[in-house]
Amino acid sequence: MNSNGGVEIANQSMNELSIKEQEADESVQVTCFSEFSDDVTLHFQIIRLHKQIYAWIGCNSAKFGHLYAAAPTRPSNNVSVTSLIGGDSDNTGLGIARRLVLKTGLNIVLACNIPKNSPMLEAKAEKKLMEKLISLGYTMRKI
Amino acid sequence: MAMETSDPLFPVRQTSLCLDIQGNKTDIIISSYEDHFLVIVTQIGSMGTILHARKEEGVSIDPTFNVAVVFGKRDEPMLAACARKLIEHIRYIFQFILPIDASLCICLLNCYQLLHPCYDFCYICSNSGSSKALVLSLGLRDHSVGTLKGIVSAVIEKIF
Repeated sequence: MNSNGGVEIANQSMNELSIKEQEADESVQVTCFSEFSDDVTLHFQIIRLHKQIYAWIGCNSAKFGHLYAAAPTRPSNNVSVTSLIGGDSDNTGLGIARRLVLKTGLNIVLACNIPKNSPMLEAKAEKKLMEKLISLGYTMRKI
Repeated sequence: MAMETSDPLFPVRQTSLCLDIQGNKTDIIISSYEDHFLVIVTQIGSMGTILHARKEEGVSIDPTFNVAVVFGKRDEPMLAACARKLIEHIRYIFQFILPIDASLCICLLNCYQLLHPCYDFCYICSNSGSSKALVLSLGLRDHSVGTLKGIVSAVIEKIF
């Protein structure tokens, strides 16, 4: 009788732990940081939802910029990406969003106000964002 | 439970809150950019339907608003109604709450109303220049009127 009671208590504790882990996994996490170099300040905001990530990249300002959505496309390893707000003649963030999904396997919505025709800045921002996503443990596939 | 999560030096101010709306756990994150508000409301762990709402600049005294679904469900009029309600509220608070302290705002309002008793707070704000646009994402389990009313109330209470 006592061993059955002990097993029940252990099962209940394990269920409670797995529920707490699930709740922690499903909670929203917000990360903000800035990178200063030369005469450019890059601001990054990452909002991690359970099944999706929203990221904003700001260059010297807090303007929202253009909005893009990108996601992996099953069953092949392709990436689908589209611009949602702005981005008609200036697709600076489009490439960043596509490469982020390609390397991380995440479903990403990206807002970005990096000016067009700034490939170095774009590459730097993408690299910083990628490093942060990896360090936070948000990626889904090995790079 | 609401929490302001931004570093004072970070240019984007944000607030997160988690509450129960119609029996569903709802996470709301409000971010204030230079030219936009971003409001993420999620019950399903993703952004869901994304709407873009902005005030149209025109010569008319009464403002007009443009609300468009940019991603997701385009056949749910209540979602657009939710965005419409929020962008109208943003128009009223933008010029006064953001740049100055609330107590000073009330003091100025009282002074203004002594001079112009026929004018109310909304009229003062409606003629005070451009407003921020709104990007609203709604990832909801149900699109009932009760849920959307709860969301609008919660966001209006917290928006800054």
